[in-house]
Amino acid sequence: MSLFQAAFGFGLVSMSVIALGAVGFTMQFGITNMINLAYGEVMISSAYVAYYINRAGVSIWIGMIAGAIFGAVFSFLLNRIVYSPFQRKGTSLLGMVIVSLAVSLMIANLLLPLVTYNSVSYQETSGSLIRMAGVILTTNQILIILLAVVVMLAIHGLLRYTRLGKAMRATAANPILARNCGIATQRVVDVVWLITGALCGLAGVVAALNSDSFAVANGAGFLITALAAAVLGGAGQPYGAMIGAVIIGLVTELSAAAWSPEYKEVVAFGILVLVMVLRPQGLLAKRGALAAAG
Amino acid sequence: MVPRPKPSLRADGITAGYGNVPVIRDVSISVGPGEVVAVIGPNGAGKSTLLKSLVGILHVSAGHVWLGTEEVTNRPPEELARRGVGYVPQVNDIFEPLTVLENLEMGGYLLSRSQVRRRVEEVGQVFPALPPMLKRRADKLSGGERKMLAIGRVLMLDPEVLILDEPTANLSPKVADALLSQHVTRLAAAGKAVLLVEQRARAALQVADWTSVLVSGVTRLEGSPGDLLKRQDFEELFLGAGPRSAAPRVEEVEENT
Repeated sequence: MSLFQAAFGFGLVSMSVIALGAVGFTMQFGITNMINLAYGEVMISSAYVAYYINRAGVSIWIGMIAGAIFGAVFSFLLNRIVYSPFQRKGTSLLGMVIVSLAVSLMIANLLLPLVTYNSVSYQETSGSLIRMAGVILTTNQILIILLAVVVMLAIHGLLRYTRLGKAMRATAANPILARNCGIATQRVVDVVWLITGALCGLAGVVAALNSDSFAVANGAGFLITALAAAVLGGAGQPYGAMIGAVIIGLVTELSAAAWSPEYKEVVAFGILVLVMVLRPQGLLAKRGALAAAG
Repeated sequence: MVPRPKPSLRADGITAGYGNVPVIRDVSISVGPGEVVAVIGPNGAGKSTLLKSLVGILHVSAGHVWLGTEEVTNRPPEELARRGVGYVPQVNDIFEPLTVLENLEMGGYLLSRSQVRRRVEEVGQVFPALPPMLKRRADKLSGGERKMLAIGRVLMLDPEVLILDEPTANLSPKVADALLSQHVTRLAAAGKAVLLVEQRARAALQVADWTSVLVSGVTRLEGSPGDLLKRQDFEELFLGAGPRSAAPRVEEVEENT
């Protein structure tokens, strides 16, 4: 197996992990108009919930479900208790970013005494090696890819074919008009926080499972990657975030094989900067589309 | 003079605006079944503000809004939609990233799946241009098609009261005339109470049963179009920009009510 085939395999795993996080992050912004910088900390908190369940002898795949539920409830409460009251008072978008940054720091500092600085890892074998089309992956990695594909298809189905998903898109496009149609947009927003929170929790556990070990400090890195994929694809665009995840996932791993693993993130973020210069609205978003919707 | 129907929607002396700054003051207006009521006035008169305060988008700081016999002052927009008040804003009147069909489905959000299917067909009969373009993205529509979709979306819930904010803005004169003389009058003939804001005063007077002239946030004149057109000062008052007519003259409202 060539180095590039191996890198492609890792790229598939990376893009799956990134997509899970980025789609939730971008949906939060697109529908609730909230750039939630505490997203990475919710991811890492969920990873720790799964860790303690896993340490008690339960499979990490069950822990993952617990992490998703924790992420959903945590995000929902975060919005209801902190973000929503600020938004109702008319706090600007930039003001809300600062609020979420403060929340992020609070979560990280609350976590530290509970889980300490030390790195931990899940007690789970990575599974047997499977070779497919010249690419070698572990069972766990294949499960992560499958999980991401299933979740992305589910998000697509939700947004495109269900009444709730269409109401979400309507709320994102024009919240006042949505209310004029009789849509209880506050309830829609609540559901969005539950769904994106579940994605955030799931992404946290998957990202932790895909690393050798993780610690509280990894939250910031989780956020940056999700943010980069979301911005690359066009902020607020779920399909854009999926494309952004594919690009960042593949580019980081392929550049690691072609050049040097130390620089793989530099290459990924170099591409992000290039796209931002050439197409500031991101790959999928129409120029000014979000402003018009607001 | 033909007596006016019992009001479906009535505002009694409402004051509303943005923040603490009132844009409209002590405005009263009503619209009943089968009636077209037009609010006309110069730019910045507060016409859109009046409509937004009736549908729960803007806060009413004084006065009352009644839907039939029930008071609905400051009720949220979604509740008013549920109670049969349909509102088409002047801009941002459709969900642009959604398809035509999805826009209609959102208009019928409160209905069951089978009711939505039935209403889409019925709305398609009102606006025959819509059914062939159900799959098209709403932001690809022309101005006239877009306005038909916006009104069609509101009709999904078969509202008793239809509130249209400058439905002919940005439309070609031909399309604008067709919208007012065909669709709006037909909706009123079907028993809807239609309250509309119009910049094109003459066109509005042709379709309205009752007209209210709003200048600088207060009602300056109201009456049947025939009565208004007989007044020599109507043109001057409507244009409203001249210094002579800038100060509100409340007695003119009083002598007409």
